[in-house]
Amino acid sequence: MLNKKLWYLLIVLSLFAFLLAACNEEGGSDPGDEEEPAETEDPAEEEEPAEEEEPAEETSDEPVEGGELIGAMDTAPAGVFNPIFYSEAYEANILDFTHESLVGQNDNLEFIPELAHDWELNEDQTELTLYLEEGVTWHDGEEFTAEDVVFTYESIASPGYVEAGGIRTAFVTPLEGYAEFNAGETDTFAGVTAEDEYTVTFHFAEPNVNPLYYASYSIIPQHVFEGVAIGDMPTHAATLEPGEVIGTGPFAFTDMVEREQYVLTRHDDYWQGKPYLERITWQINDQSVISSLLENGEIDFVADPSGVPAADYEMVSGYDNVEIIEQTDFGYQLMGFKMNYRTTEDVESGTINPNNWVENPNVADQQVRQAIAYAIDRPGLVEGLLYGRGSVINAPIAQQFWAYTEDVPQYEHNQDTANQMLDDAGYVDADGDGWRDMPNGDEWVLDLAFPTGNQIRERSAPVIEENLEEVGINVNLMQPKEMTAYTEDIMTSDDEQEIDLYLIGWSLGSGDPDPSGLWSIEAAYNMSRWNNPESDELISQALQAPEAFDQEYRTEVYGEWQNLFATDLPAVLLYAQNKIYAFNERLNGVDPLPYAFANNPHLWWVSDAQ
Amino acid sequence: MYKYIIRRILIFIPMLFALSVVVFALSKAAPGDPFTTMLDPNIDRSVFEERKEALGLNDPIPVQYFRWVSSAVQGDFGESIVYNQRPVMDLIKVRFWNTIYLGIVALFFTLIVAIPIGIYSARNPYSLLDYGATGFSFLGLAIPNFFFGLLAIYFLSIQFGWFPAQGTVSGTDVSGLEEFIDRIHHMILPGITLGLAGTATYMRYMRSEVLDVLGSDYIRTAKAKGMSDRNVLYKHTLRNALIPIITLMGFEFGVLIGGAVITEQVFNYPGLGTLFLDAIINRDYPIVMALALIFGIFILVGNLLADIFYSVVDPRIRYD
Repeated sequence: MLNKKLWYLLIVLSLFAFLLAACNEEGGSDPGDEEEPAETEDPAEEEEPAEEEEPAEETSDEPVEGGELIGAMDTAPAGVFNPIFYSEAYEANILDFTHESLVGQNDNLEFIPELAHDWELNEDQTELTLYLEEGVTWHDGEEFTAEDVVFTYESIASPGYVEAGGIRTAFVTPLEGYAEFNAGETDTFAGVTAEDEYTVTFHFAEPNVNPLYYASYSIIPQHVFEGVAIGDMPTHAATLEPGEVIGTGPFAFTDMVEREQYVLTRHDDYWQGKPYLERITWQINDQSVISSLLENGEIDFVADPSGVPAADYEMVSGYDNVEIIEQTDFGYQLMGFKMNYRTTEDVESGTINPNNWVENPNVADQQVRQAIAYAIDRPGLVEGLLYGRGSVINAPIAQQFWAYTEDVPQYEHNQDTANQMLDDAGYVDADGDGWRDMPNGDEWVLDLAFPTGNQIRERSAPVIEENLEEVGINVNLMQPKEMTAYTEDIMTSDDEQEIDLYLIGWSLGSGDPDPSGLWSIEAAYNMSRWNNPESDELISQALQAPEAFDQEYRTEVYGEWQNLFATDLPAVLLYAQNKIYAFNERLNGVDPLPYAFANNPHLWWVSDAQ
Repeated sequence: MYKYIIRRILIFIPMLFALSVVVFALSKAAPGDPFTTMLDPNIDRSVFEERKEALGLNDPIPVQYFRWVSSAVQGDFGESIVYNQRPVMDLIKVRFWNTIYLGIVALFFTLIVAIPIGIYSARNPYSLLDYGATGFSFLGLAIPNFFFGLLAIYFLSIQFGWFPAQGTVSGTDVSGLEEFIDRIHHMILPGITLGLAGTATYMRYMRSEVLDVLGSDYIRTAKAKGMSDRNVLYKHTLRNALIPIITLMGFEFGVLIGGAVITEQVFNYPGLGTLFLDAIINRDYPIVMALALIFGIFILVGNLLADIFYSVVDPRIRYD
């Protein structure tokens, strides 16, 4: 009987094998084959990095309509395609194509017209009136009006928004009447009002230094979400389902294979003109194969948020069919000094009160912190770990901002200076064990904590340890922890008084250089617990109306603040990584912004469109 | 027999209950919460405090557990915290069948390769093929999954273009039979990769079991009766040699369902393993709980099936 069963098994197996063979033959539709035209394109123009200078060829100069693109990202979006509820960069990759804001930003990070073609500010900057483009249509054909803008901001301000999972309240809190409306005391939100169909006014409770930033939020359609309770919005079809997500952008989100492919189809009635490309597909690929797929033309571009890893730069730049754009990332990695600890009571009650903080004697001396900065070979980190695809920075404001200054103490790598400064500060080897001790003779060991996850950062920890040991500082490299446990240690319950040095990275927003979220004394993210009243003073001065309406004044104040930071040194800024965008040379019209690859994708076109 | 199965299934209930208590306690004991790593200087942390309060994450753990249990028994596994409020079952549904199919394909490859080669090796020990198979199994056990996966992608997919490198399907525009074939085509590389270590193990087991059985008295008796080699092999040897393999398979199924994280990642094959790992890292408690239960059920069912197959293969084993 078993004999018979085995025979059946054998038959099934051979059928299966036959099936496989068959589908191999049908495999003529392999993606690899289809893309061949892209690879065999004229080899003569390989060397030209700038697309405008391409030698005249029938296909290259004039944009042509049609064709499609495949972009790759290494992690799938969580799946919330609603600007007011999304939370991560992978969702943003899709929303960037489908939704728009009243104002955008240009290369210099100045706000420029988008859905609003013009605006006016009143004298004390409490009222911002924007004039909207007429004739803009949503993907479903309805017209875009001022009511949509009011509806978007009302939704973010409405009671229950946070409970429903929204986290963007920062865009509405400075607006007039937010507190009353959010508490349910009023039925209408006084913060944003429609004057007529194409005019909308933002009312600020206080004079605002950067009002356009608050008008830069993506707009959602009122006619789709009207009558949907705020709590139901995150699970509404128009938030989750392709084809139901409606925006005004050049492409509409029309189809998906969840976690694998996300298809954007052109919006024919796009107000800035019909996009050239017919379709852009986002494909999710493992980081380790993205480079090979770029080479054989199966994907056309890889950009935000990860781009090409620094280690692959050499290889990818050697591909004949791929062009690279490299630009500085918005953000930096740092090694912070845990200058103060919170008390256990404060941690339990969740308060941040600098009066209760306990000073950490290990890194309390400013001279010691500066000596440590001299001892760390930061160019070495950039060369060794980033393969040169990054830069050393000295001030904690993104380099792209007008507010950034290089005119601060530089701390060039110098072991002699470091040794000298430590000697002067009294940190010498008192007991002859080869390590420096505290001025009072106590043993001096610095505990360096770091998280897993970011491999480059992980590998920088032992290098820093080595750098510091070279100047006689005894460093204890702590066991790395996964990010959640680590964050808990350095930020949420930092009363253990163990950690002296910690590694973390920040990506910064492009909207405004105000550093208060990271470095003001009572900010949760001030993980150093840097307690310098002068710093808080400068930070609030830079936002003080009406002086701060003048950008030059702010630049000056931020310059002073950056100097204070670099002198008092609550953290050593290690490096800013470069973002490496790569795309197939058949893609033209790419014009990335300092913070994003996708800029005016309706002007992208492919040279081999049929 | 049926009574036995029903009894076994009834025992599942307290076991799953105990499992849920342990997993819940452990996941709450891990430091941090879903919002700890949402580090964004543009967002006031009080927003997260408000959300924690709204989700009841500040309540005592037993209270939270009973809230979870009382909705779980009604089939409501709640909403994911990290994936902005999407229902847990929604998130699992997409990946569940992917994972099951991949597990089946991996098991299938394992069996069609391991069993025949194992038998051959045992019947012709110390032959060239036997040495080859031994070498292969050591290699198969030693080579890490991700490395084999990358090699397979590089050569079979990128260089030769025989198989797709990533995902479960070519696009949104295939359907019907074409889609079925396309999906199988996509499953072959990850299936082989996932099944590799199992293949190596089973091959070794099969070889030593068959060798063992071939040396036993009843085989000698059967041969002495003048039974043909074929009959000795199929009627007497194989049945007895399969018993330990069946035990292994019972476990293996559970492992394949939950343990395919690396393979899923390398081939970007959306499955439950990756979801589970992400959920643990993000402290997305509702997903962790639902998946722990699903994995638990699979391991229990796998073992039950193994026990049932015992009695099919070996008539001496009877349940009542």
